[in-house]
Amino acid sequence: MKHKIQTVCGFGCGSSLMLKMNVEAIAKKHGIEIDAFCGDVGTCCSNECDVIFISKELAERIAERTKVPLVVFNNFMDKKEVEEKSLAYFETIK
Amino acid sequence: MNEIIRMNHILINQKANTWEEAIRLTGHPLVKSHAIDMEYVDNMVTSVKELGPYIVIMPHFALAHAAPGISVHQSEMSIATFPEGVCFDCDNDPVKVLICMACIDKTSHIDRLQKIANILMDETIIQRMCDCTSEQELYDIINTDGK
Repeated sequence: MKHKIQTVCGFGCGSSLMLKMNVEAIAKKHGIEIDAFCGDVGTCCSNECDVIFISKELAERIAERTKVPLVVFNNFMDKKEVEEKSLAYFETIK
Repeated sequence: MNEIIRMNHILINQKANTWEEAIRLTGHPLVKSHAIDMEYVDNMVTSVKELGPYIVIMPHFALAHAAPGISVHQSEMSIATFPEGVCFDCDNDPVKVLICMACIDKTSHIDRLQKIANILMDETIIQRMCDCTSEQELYDIINTDGK
């Protein structure tokens, strides 16, 4: 089954899109099938997904409301961080 | 040529005392070219006030934007360099390069944002952008590297 990943930023069309691109690239590289989509911080908790990928600042806002695990990033553009944290998550759901 | 960021939306060697001033400075060219109304600049500022400095998505770089809406007329981006840095009160401070992004919907800007993302993957990019001594030089980095 494909993993449904929601990348989240303030409005679901800026930084979340950049994170989505990077996560998709990593999933592709490692042959992992995912279905990633962007969400905004206001409505992300009501969107159906398996996990939320989000920045540190925004994670604090939804930590208490979310029903799915959060993967928190400091640097959306750091290939190493995105790769390590994404793979660590994929490991947990194997 | 399909430009990622237009020449008249590029500013170099800017100075700002606060993050709000930096966003207003960087967004101004978009107002001037009628891509957005002033209201959108206010919205970008409000979003940081409400949601915090999450727009600083990597060290020294911030992507300011607000929700697509009636104050956006064209999907465009502007960029400014702040070689002395601007404090956004976050771990990735100081911000030296700021992009303001306006989009009319959630999809029309994806292609250009992807190209910006590719440019930002280069670890020397922030320094190279700050070292630019003319708008043309920065224009060339963005529109050539991003291809």
